[in-house]
Amino acid sequence: MLKGKNVIITGTNRGIGKAMLEEFARNGANIWAHARVETPEFLAVVNALAEKHEVKIWPIFFELTDYEAMKTAVKSIMDSKIPVDALINNAGITYNALFQMSTVEHLRNQLEVNFISVYIFTQYISKLMVRRKKGSIVNIASTAAFDGNSGKSVYGAAKAAVAAMTDSIAAELGESGIRANCIAPGITETDMLASMPEAVVAEAKATADMRRGGKPSEIATTAVFLASDLSSYVTGQTIRVDGGIR
Amino acid sequence: MMLLGGKTAVITGCLQGIGRATMGVFAKNGANIIACSQHETEEFSACVKELSGGQRVEITPIYFDFMDDESIKQAARTIQKLNRKIDILVNIAGITRDALFQMATTEQMKTVFQVNYFSQMLFSQYITKLMLRNGAGSIINISSISAIDGNPGQLVYASSKAAIISATKTMSAELAPRGIRVNAVAPGVIDTAMTAIVPKEAMDRQMHKSNIKRIGKPEEVANVILYLASDLSSFVTGQTIRVDGGIG
Repeated sequence: MLKGKNVIITGTNRGIGKAMLEEFARNGANIWAHARVETPEFLAVVNALAEKHEVKIWPIFFELTDYEAMKTAVKSIMDSKIPVDALINNAGITYNALFQMSTVEHLRNQLEVNFISVYIFTQYISKLMVRRKKGSIVNIASTAAFDGNSGKSVYGAAKAAVAAMTDSIAAELGESGIRANCIAPGITETDMLASMPEAVVAEAKATADMRRGGKPSEIATTAVFLASDLSSYVTGQTIRVDGGIR
Repeated sequence: MMLLGGKTAVITGCLQGIGRATMGVFAKNGANIIACSQHETEEFSACVKELSGGQRVEITPIYFDFMDDESIKQAARTIQKLNRKIDILVNIAGITRDALFQMATTEQMKTVFQVNYFSQMLFSQYITKLMLRNGAGSIINISSISAIDGNPGQLVYASSKAAIISATKTMSAELAPRGIRVNAVAPGVIDTAMTAIVPKEAMDRQMHKSNIKRIGKPEEVANVILYLASDLSSFVTGQTIRVDGGIG
């Protein structure tokens, strides 16, 4: 579905990002696979996937808030002269704390990692896309951005900021041939879940229409859809991939 | 890649527009199709024949009238007798009667709701019964952005399409626990016979409102329906996805 397309995915070391790496490779995309730090395990995964699916995977590394390192990575993408067809901003960190307990440090850290770094990185990459008048940007938000979950006042706000930014990007860059959409995952089976109280997770699963949590690959396939030409008339949208939470 | 290989889909409103495009996209992706249309035309039969031959899928046309409950019941029985495992239902058949709020007649309201809501629910009830036997499936309803945004002159149509969004959520709540996902798409301005009657200035205005500054093609809506019908959306249910090039 993505044969011959070149895609940047952030946060591919684990969880949803790792599943994206697999789904995008399986669908024939060449990938710049971002992780915060280089490890032999990560490189092994990347090489195995590239070989298995006969695609190119170029690892790139930077801490999300290290803007100098980010710039260097962007420059390497630019210097490669390979056009960027899609950007999947997946990397993020979770944070659970009651409203009364959240500190200024937590607020700053969450917004810095989950929002500002996404904003800056997207600025860089969209510039490359505008030159070709073509591209798809997919941001990972969260149902917590819309539903108001207990303990998620900071994380939810940062993800709501991502969703608002996405809408504005869609409005500004639509004329330049760039689409921008969000995915709002619900309860997804990743390490992030471990940070949430068990009872809350169990309750959320029991009340979802599908009565279960999502698999990382199920978020990844929606990202494939939004990156692909199947969604050529879809922009400025947030798609909830949550098994039907109400 | 074939996203619907070996699956069987019931699609209503196949005669033209989004329904016709969906039939084409589904056939290309390997689905066998029970193609519902109000009536037979030579052109439609030829299209069915060409698609089934070219894509090596089975397309079974069925003709019935969405204004007539008995005709719908007959069609459901015919489908049941085909004895196929039904994986997908796409409810596309729909009509519009445009009129300003002060001018809309109850006759117009009844006609539009008969086709867009009552008949669609009745038909879905029948087909869902067949789908529940497999404990798996995907239903896709067609709404409209006018249901969410409001649109002058489309009181009746927009209201009927809002009912579809609501029905989609409740159907999902009831059916997803039993393995059937239910979602809707809300198309914006799409190049079909339904929008051909809209004055050019109004179309231009709409087009300018969209982020990507053009109207949509029926295939672009069909591709989103394909996503919702396929396993790509295996954890998506109860949603309404706007396919509008970015409006509002």
